[in-house]
Amino acid sequence: MEATISILLLLLLVYLILGAMVALLLYSRGLQQIDEATADTGWGFKLLILPGLLCFWPLFLMRLFKQSAKTK
Amino acid sequence: MSVNYTTVLWNTQKKWYDLLLWGGILLLLFSFAIFQIIFHPDITIETLIIRATAVAAFTLLHFILLIGPLCRLDSRFLPLLYNRRHLGVSMFLLALVHGVFSIIQFHALGDTFPLVSIFTSNQNYQSISEFPFQTLGFFALLILFLMAATSHDFWLKNLGPKAWKNLHMGVYFAYALIIVHVATGALQYESHPAYWALLVLGFALVAGMHLWAAWRERQKLAAQNVLEQAGFYEVGPVADLSENCGKPLFINGENIAVFKYEGKVSAVNNVCKHQMGPIGEGKIIDGCITCPWHGYQYLPENGQSPPPFNEKLTTYEVKVLEGIIWVNPHPKAAGTYIAPAKING
Repeated sequence: MEATISILLLLLLVYLILGAMVALLLYSRGLQQIDEATADTGWGFKLLILPGLLCFWPLFLMRLFKQSAKTK
Repeated sequence: MSVNYTTVLWNTQKKWYDLLLWGGILLLLFSFAIFQIIFHPDITIETLIIRATAVAAFTLLHFILLIGPLCRLDSRFLPLLYNRRHLGVSMFLLALVHGVFSIIQFHALGDTFPLVSIFTSNQNYQSISEFPFQTLGFFALLILFLMAATSHDFWLKNLGPKAWKNLHMGVYFAYALIIVHVATGALQYESHPAYWALLVLGFALVAGMHLWAAWRERQKLAAQNVLEQAGFYEVGPVADLSENCGKPLFINGENIAVFKYEGKVSAVNNVCKHQMGPIGEGKIIDGCITCPWHGYQYLPENGQSPPPFNEKLTTYEVKVLEGIIWVNPHPKAAGTYIAPAKING
């Protein structure tokens, strides 16, 4: 049981680290590619949505790829 | 054209709302702390924080869950709904403090990593008195975290309204987990029946209000269904009409004017018999609908011009159901009396 829980927590940590990397990518590449209304938003807003980005980063990564494919 | 996001769209109402909210939370925390210190003078600060934040978060959760049904039952509660997300995030922050301090108090400084210890220190899932209630609290906190993290219009748009709503309906699952968490946790140590009574009362209040609101909605939908079956169409709220004023509308090819006056609503044809002026843009003067073009007048309940004049407008059946005007666009013969719909009837 302990080993299982430890592995699950490790996987969760990896997931969150990947989420942090995607969040940085979005903040640098421009979140407005995915949502225009995020243009000119401050760091307060970016900090506010960070916990959610850590959880739902696969959705945003997919959208970023789709958007990049469209612009090419 | 779009509005860019801000962290919080502050306005005077929100500022007052949050002021009252946190004033209430601090008052509750402070009062509970005093109560605990009086009856348990040896209580440690960690235990005090764990208990106080638990009570505050749980009380706030009940209040949050009551807002939905209250608003359905009476629209005067709607101002509470507008900033409910502030309540939700505040409740999560209290629950987080409770969770973090509980993990430190009961699972830190051991050989096992604290988050692992939550699941492994007690595995008596067959027992009620020794049930691993902390795992329930953990999962409830996780749900509340996901809800707090997505409590912004950005998430409503990017997750989509349906997915966002489904995620936030998770509050009911979190509530169920917390009820069992409290019942198998704190209430196994607190022997006074008053605590059980409070828990049951809280649940009964939330469940009861939801059932009552559901029953009222069902009745309202049934009444709306009856009106729709009878050929009525929903026009809009009575409150949208100014007193002694009209509103023109088109339903099923019929040009209709609805008027509000003396606590009643009537509907007549929108076209004046004189020179086809827009009756609906007129007003009620001396008890008569008055055309804005040349002042031709008609009684609102039967569409007839007052004697000695002979002009007549077609009239329409109108109902008011829970503050919403319904009109049947099938016209009655010109001059037919239709009992006005009472606004508070």
